[in-house]
Amino acid sequence: MRNPLNKRLPRELLGDIGKYIVIFLLLLLSIGFVSGFLVAGESMIKAYNESFEKYSIEDGNFRTEDRLKDTQKERIENGKVPVKIYENFYVEKEFDNNTTLRIFANREEVDRACVMEGELPSNSKEIAIDRMYADNNGLNVGDTLTSEGTEYKITALVALSDYSALFYNNNDMMFDASAFGVAVVTKEQFSEYAERDLRYNYAWIYDKKPLDDIEEKEMSDDLMELIAKKAELENFVPGFLNQSITFTGEDLGSDKAMVEVLLYIMIIIIAFVFGITINNTIHKEACVIGTLRASGYTKSELIRHYMAMPLIVTVIAAALGNIMGYTFFKDVCVSMYYNSYSLPTYVTVWSAEAFLKTTLVPFAIMVIVTYLILRRKLRISPLKLIRRDLSGGRQKDAIRLNNKIRFFDRFRLRILIQNKSSYIILFMGLLFANMLLFFGMMLPPLIIHYQGIVTQSMLAKHTYLIEIPAGVVDTDDELSAAFSYVFLQSKITSNNPDAEKFSAYGLKTIGDDGARVEDVTLYGIKEDSRYINVKFDDKTVLISSAYADKYGLKKDDVITLKEPYEDKYYGFKVTGVYDYDGGIVVFMSQKHLNELMGFDEEMFSGYFSDSEITDIDTKYIGTTIDEESLTRVTRQLMISMGDLMYMVDAFSVILFVVLIYLLSKLIIERNVQSISMVKILGYRKKEIALLYILPTAIVVVGSLLLSYPILSYVMVEIFRVMLKQMMSGWMVIWLDPSVYVKMFLMGFITYVVVAIIEYRKIGKIPMSEALKNVE
Amino acid sequence: MQLELQNIKKSYGEGGSRIEVLKDISLEAKKGEFVVLLGPSGSGKSTLLNIIGGIDNADSGKIIIRGKSMSDMNEKALTSYRREHLGYIFQMYNLIPNLTVRENIEVGAYLSKNPLDIDELIEVLGLKEHQNKIPSKLSGGQQQRCAIGRAIVKNPDILLCDEPTGALDYNTSKEILALIEEVNQKYGNTVIMVTHNDAIKNMADFVVKLRDGVIRKSYRNEEKQKAAELDW
Repeated sequence: MRNPLNKRLPRELLGDIGKYIVIFLLLLLSIGFVSGFLVAGESMIKAYNESFEKYSIEDGNFRTEDRLKDTQKERIENGKVPVKIYENFYVEKEFDNNTTLRIFANREEVDRACVMEGELPSNSKEIAIDRMYADNNGLNVGDTLTSEGTEYKITALVALSDYSALFYNNNDMMFDASAFGVAVVTKEQFSEYAERDLRYNYAWIYDKKPLDDIEEKEMSDDLMELIAKKAELENFVPGFLNQSITFTGEDLGSDKAMVEVLLYIMIIIIAFVFGITINNTIHKEACVIGTLRASGYTKSELIRHYMAMPLIVTVIAAALGNIMGYTFFKDVCVSMYYNSYSLPTYVTVWSAEAFLKTTLVPFAIMVIVTYLILRRKLRISPLKLIRRDLSGGRQKDAIRLNNKIRFFDRFRLRILIQNKSSYIILFMGLLFANMLLFFGMMLPPLIIHYQGIVTQSMLAKHTYLIEIPAGVVDTDDELSAAFSYVFLQSKITSNNPDAEKFSAYGLKTIGDDGARVEDVTLYGIKEDSRYINVKFDDKTVLISSAYADKYGLKKDDVITLKEPYEDKYYGFKVTGVYDYDGGIVVFMSQKHLNELMGFDEEMFSGYFSDSEITDIDTKYIGTTIDEESLTRVTRQLMISMGDLMYMVDAFSVILFVVLIYLLSKLIIERNVQSISMVKILGYRKKEIALLYILPTAIVVVGSLLLSYPILSYVMVEIFRVMLKQMMSGWMVIWLDPSVYVKMFLMGFITYVVVAIIEYRKIGKIPMSEALKNVE
Repeated sequence: MQLELQNIKKSYGEGGSRIEVLKDISLEAKKGEFVVLLGPSGSGKSTLLNIIGGIDNADSGKIIIRGKSMSDMNEKALTSYRREHLGYIFQMYNLIPNLTVRENIEVGAYLSKNPLDIDELIEVLGLKEHQNKIPSKLSGGQQQRCAIGRAIVKNPDILLCDEPTGALDYNTSKEILALIEEVNQKYGNTVIMVTHNDAIKNMADFVVKLRDGVIRKSYRNEEKQKAAELDW
């Protein structure tokens, strides 16, 4: 005979549909959203990684002043590092929509384009433009773009494999895919461009691929040396340093830390919700359970019975969540990636990690939590269950309350005391719900605040890093080296009275404790600097406040930094912290830095200046740090993190509402019998509400207020760990006070809505409830 | 002997607030006997029934059912003992609210390897018309009939009834008593009924009067009354 209790299951589902919908939604959304994100991430990373081979992405590129002759090309190709060189010429055109496009002739051998929509141009006056640039500028296939009176018809939206991040210049701190894009035209169209507009850019591919970054660095150094001897080099960018290619790969998956934190919060909440719902079920069903136990039903039969429904709901939610994760949510997350990067087409991959983390783990938690609670509660004797005495322990004497307290207040206090375990659960639940909300709501203002901070705390209004084009200094013999050095000095010296020279050197952190390896800029500051207000001696090593905050460093700590692509390490004893939140930076005297790095005493790397420097040719200026460039960094950060943040935000709000609803509902359900009893005694609905809803409201308000200081502390630590994994550089963690107000209002308003629903429910509680099984 | 109780003692509380609920109770019931445990509130009759039912423990003493001592049983064995040998009827029915009458009876049938025929039982219980209704659609008497059905369907050796008429009116109480009597005669189970209704003693084979945790009197009725003839 089939267990007749199974017949209860569908009725149980319908009878408590509200609770099961809440659990279902909670699981569906978290499984769907997180697995969608992880699947999208893995699919995109796979597409990105495969694009190197699929589209034959270059191993590097260089630009020469003039077109290379065949003999020059041959010599380079057959040098110490054998390579194959491909012409990769481009022109840059300003368009009527105030944007610049870098236009290539369609490349068939190297850096091939991935067509996202339409067809590659086959005629003159046709153009295929970058898909992301098109999105940002509202352009579609069939539209036209005009440059210098020439109208181009857009025939395709493409992703150029060597421009997954649209950096205009490799030294730029960030790209701007609204103002700059890349495009391809036919060879015929390209041949129509004036010779003077052409940039002689070449791509190379190694005959034998380097095994690691160190070998690649050596090979590219050798190659640069050779090319500089054979031609006038204007630019030289090996693949591993090409931000347009590498940036996307490094950044893809950095959001994962954020979603994983969310997932961990979700798992705690799911475990919590399962815990309280099963506990509540046992309270509600105590009599039935006691009777069944007295009749001879075994504990394991009952455990199986009471686990069945949550298990069924979980399995259905998990299945649908995964389906949504691989369809709707994946699409949402993929479009988020496409908003940030110019990625090629992708194929959805099965993600074992997503399945494990989003489905198996919550499922296991559900089974374990439900099982343990049921097992513990079913230890209570059948007799106690029948009498609904689930306390387990001995009944304590009532707490004495002063008779001077008004009767109604004393009644309310008694309700508070009697329901204290439910209220502790409510507090815990609100804490978790608020944690979710905090996570979603605090991030956007944090980034906006960071945007303000970086522009306010600039070392100088303009910081210029000089870049000496490869090949300018002829090192063949001392005489020509000296000559070219003097020549250079005149080119890179500014007469701007605001300009102050500094030295700079880039090192990397060693990535201990699993932290990500990141760039550290060492500034060598001249004595009595106008811009860095510190007295330096030979031992002064100051780290920026952002550096100190990110790694928890203080005076007298030792930092170890590493030469990029070399096995060379530097140790510094920190002598203090300099108040600068704009980057991971070390300050020392110019003399100190130059000596340390073996530079000439006079050597400098750039200028701090409060006014723009105009007397140095831009070709000698590598990177400019000013308000505009810093704003671009945060703007891009907002674009790339923004969608995800707002999704997390919306997701948190939904779950917050759902959780508060569930918790408040439980309180009333636990008190059904007492409410029914006071109804019999003749209390009015309003009075009952004042007795049973008001204490809950007080607890809700108190819990909300109490949760904020706790969460501020906890979330700062969580943000710290998360941001450390997510980003290079540092965002000083700032909690927006207005968010607390918003969170409180949201919590309170949600509770008011729930209270109204509960108020209606009070009216429906039958008086007969009170007559059930009271001994 | 179907049931033997030897020197059963039970107390609640500690120190000064310790109350002895059962003080050295011994009795015997034969197979198929209708036993009534009679006494006022606090006499210990429900506690005694719960100890016989294995849902409460005695502090000392022995309970022997069909020659087997319950004192030696662990929890698992006690559950099987209840499953195989006992049927329980409570004052408040304790039916499962979202199962129909028939399904509630099936809940009992599921526990037995050799249950009674459910259709026949429903007929005996007078619930044929109501078998597809849920408990909240039934009167108190009908709910108690259903609870009796659930207890009896597994054809237990001993049927324990804890104030089965305590929540019912006079006529319905008599109907229920008549039903239990019928079940007892038809299926031959030993019935142990706890009540404070003095009139019910007249339908019993064996009457045990309890007060303050001790047996004040116990006797076997020479002449039993039918349930229908009872009056109070």
